[in-house]
Amino acid sequence: MARIPTSKWPGLLAATVLMTYAVSSSGPPVHGEDAGNLYNTEFDIRVGQRYFERQCSRCHGFDARGNDEVGAPDLTGTLSNASSDAGIFNIIREGIQGTAMLPVAADVPDATIWQLVAYINSLRYDPDSVILAGNAEAGERLFYGQADCDSCHMVNGRGGRQGPELSRVGEGQSPDELMTALVAPDAEVDPRWWTLRVTGPDGVVREGFRMGEDSFAVRIMDADNELWAFDKNEIRDYERSETSTMPSYDQRLSESQLDDLVAYLFSLRREQ
Amino acid sequence: MIKHLTLLTTALALSVPLTAQETSQEQAFNTVITPAFTPVTWERLVNARNEPENWMMYSGTLDSQRYSLLDEIDTDNVDQLEMKWAYQIPVIDRAETVPLVVDGIMFITEAPSNLVAVDAATGREYWRYDHDLPEDLRICCGRNNRGVAILGETLFMSTLDAHLVAIDARTGNVLWDVEVAPYEAGYSKTAAPLIVKDLVVTGIAGGEFGIRGFIDAYDPATGERVWRTYTIPGPGEFGNDTWSGDSWRNGGSPTWITGSYDPELELIYWGTGNPGPDWNGDVRLGDNLYSDSVLALDADTGNLEWYFQFTPHDVHDYDAIQVPILADIEVEGETIPGMLWANRNGFFYTFNRATGEFIQGKPYATVTWASGLDPVTGRPIRVPGMAPTYEGILVSPPIVGATNWYSPGYSQDTGLFYVTSFDGVQEFFKRDEDFEEGQRYTGGGGRYTQPMDAFHSAIRAIDPNTAEIVWEFPIMPRSSAGITTTAGGLVFTGSADGYFFALDAESGEELWNVSLGARVHAAPMTFAVDGRQYVTIASGNVVYTFGLDD
Repeated sequence: MARIPTSKWPGLLAATVLMTYAVSSSGPPVHGEDAGNLYNTEFDIRVGQRYFERQCSRCHGFDARGNDEVGAPDLTGTLSNASSDAGIFNIIREGIQGTAMLPVAADVPDATIWQLVAYINSLRYDPDSVILAGNAEAGERLFYGQADCDSCHMVNGRGGRQGPELSRVGEGQSPDELMTALVAPDAEVDPRWWTLRVTGPDGVVREGFRMGEDSFAVRIMDADNELWAFDKNEIRDYERSETSTMPSYDQRLSESQLDDLVAYLFSLRREQ
Repeated sequence: MIKHLTLLTTALALSVPLTAQETSQEQAFNTVITPAFTPVTWERLVNARNEPENWMMYSGTLDSQRYSLLDEIDTDNVDQLEMKWAYQIPVIDRAETVPLVVDGIMFITEAPSNLVAVDAATGREYWRYDHDLPEDLRICCGRNNRGVAILGETLFMSTLDAHLVAIDARTGNVLWDVEVAPYEAGYSKTAAPLIVKDLVVTGIAGGEFGIRGFIDAYDPATGERVWRTYTIPGPGEFGNDTWSGDSWRNGGSPTWITGSYDPELELIYWGTGNPGPDWNGDVRLGDNLYSDSVLALDADTGNLEWYFQFTPHDVHDYDAIQVPILADIEVEGETIPGMLWANRNGFFYTFNRATGEFIQGKPYATVTWASGLDPVTGRPIRVPGMAPTYEGILVSPPIVGATNWYSPGYSQDTGLFYVTSFDGVQEFFKRDEDFEEGQRYTGGGGRYTQPMDAFHSAIRAIDPNTAEIVWEFPIMPRSSAGITTTAGGLVFTGSADGYFFALDAESGEELWNVSLGARVHAAPMTFAVDGRQYVTIASGNVVYTFGLDD
């Protein structure tokens, strides 16, 4: 994916980190007050990562992408329980009551927790620091026009139901990932968007998105947006397809159009 | 419950005419009035299968078959089960409890380390015990407690701060509370103890913190420790040289599930967990005895009579933390005292439990780390290049295992062994770590490279005489529910997608299911009150009890 200057990201990230370091001038904060994180050099991030892999990965995953089974959230996207360095620090130090998120041992030094904060922050980036080749406004016109994305995808209440809702897609996906989704939609398909072809007890074949599948039942939405539920032991047959129903846009749009579309999608995030 | 009804009858009798009063009194005297709890002797525990109305230990009986002789609920009427009551656990966490029932009283453990006694017919509370815990617990995998043991009038409970607590079954009063090991050093306790004769036998957790594992026995009257058998031999003892350098000191090998007991052979059988650090074996070269093993211990002394190591020098966290099922098996036309074991490492094994002799073993789920077992010794034949790496390598079973701690079941009617199994794959990583007391010591970790729904899971029935899979019932995604079988021809279990269900033990056919809406991480148990059979399962934070229409 040569279209996106992604190679600049680590440099930009490091520059941001160093600037933060230079701006902070007081001593290391001893409580989780928002005085800025002094432990956020590349070295600190590496130490934080090692600590994370050792102490946190059992629940949050070795890649910090969370674990639905234990209810541990993905830490690589927008955090739901903290919006600042101090907030992350406090959660690690104190835990979240009534959940499996326990506080760290009392003898773990604050510096270690700040290094952990630095690592968790390193999993994200400031979207404003990302320089994209495309033009978001041109991408928006494509989205609702030539590319016809809105026939399947909804953004802020406008569009179709036959694809993922995209109002905040820029928060969870990098420009690289968005480009992959456009040109190679089968590369990674969320199970929610797999399709099922069900032959019901009435002998009628119905095909649709896999809204839900469990040990005993399936639920689909067909092309007419009709919702159907079936008991597995009553249906005659069902087939599952783990590929995407979205066409590849590799040949449908030019490289610059794809860049524009990525820029638009990347701009779709919660209003700050 | 009957007691209350009887009192009501008597009270009404006082206000009615004489002839009717006589009749009522006659009825009252004909009604059996029994208090709701009688002490549990060792003899009752040995013969637990013959009082199927009670579920008096974690696995139901000492052989851990989880096979109940209750047959009111059977293959014909199980689809008429209805919910009788639900008990809401007040602390939000994952319920892994298997309640006990003794003469109409149910004892339910709760997260983090609490215990409640309820009327087994209504789910209404008699008393509760809330264990005080320190704030800085060292636990690897959640605030869990799986159940209690009972002897006489006393319940015995493990706690997350690695204590063993004795609690009066009538009141919830604490009789004694002893520290089994220091929690600050990474020790914790989650499993139900096992009563063996006049001893409380109990294990320890902490395999992710570089502990040195052991199995303990305590005096039920005083809490005094009677014996301790380390699962890692000390210097000068056989097997210590299977650990390079001083690695034995922090080699893990915990004992975090409940074992089984054979009263005739007088042997305790108990599984051991992973060597530590879990995923980096470089610092502990050798077989690492007795990690990932089954130990057969003398009941009176704790002396090791025999052992079998399933996964020598494990680097994938394949704990042998499974409940050993003791059942007779046929070997070359002869019936022998067998032990059945579906291991986290993906192989199903059978043994002669008197001698420890390996009979046979075959994979029962997807296995890529070993190509098979040596037919004589049972030692795995490793596939080269399957150890975790710094870059990551895909291996089956994944870290959670082909199965794990959740109880398997066995039916005396079908002769089949039932296990929840998972055909998954995971990327394993190795990291270098120094041991620090009380800190995690795992040497790596893992991550899934596919969504959970892409994997296959099933309840599998295995013929222990052939080690072949007879049938499977697919479930999704993977399950961590245990299994209970009944003389009604049923297999009860649950799934992570929140169902509780019954299968035909012979065919695997689905007979009944109910969506409880939250993950099932516990094993079902069954009991009877007033001659009516019930079946109980924990799902999410709720304990549900089902029965037939009255």
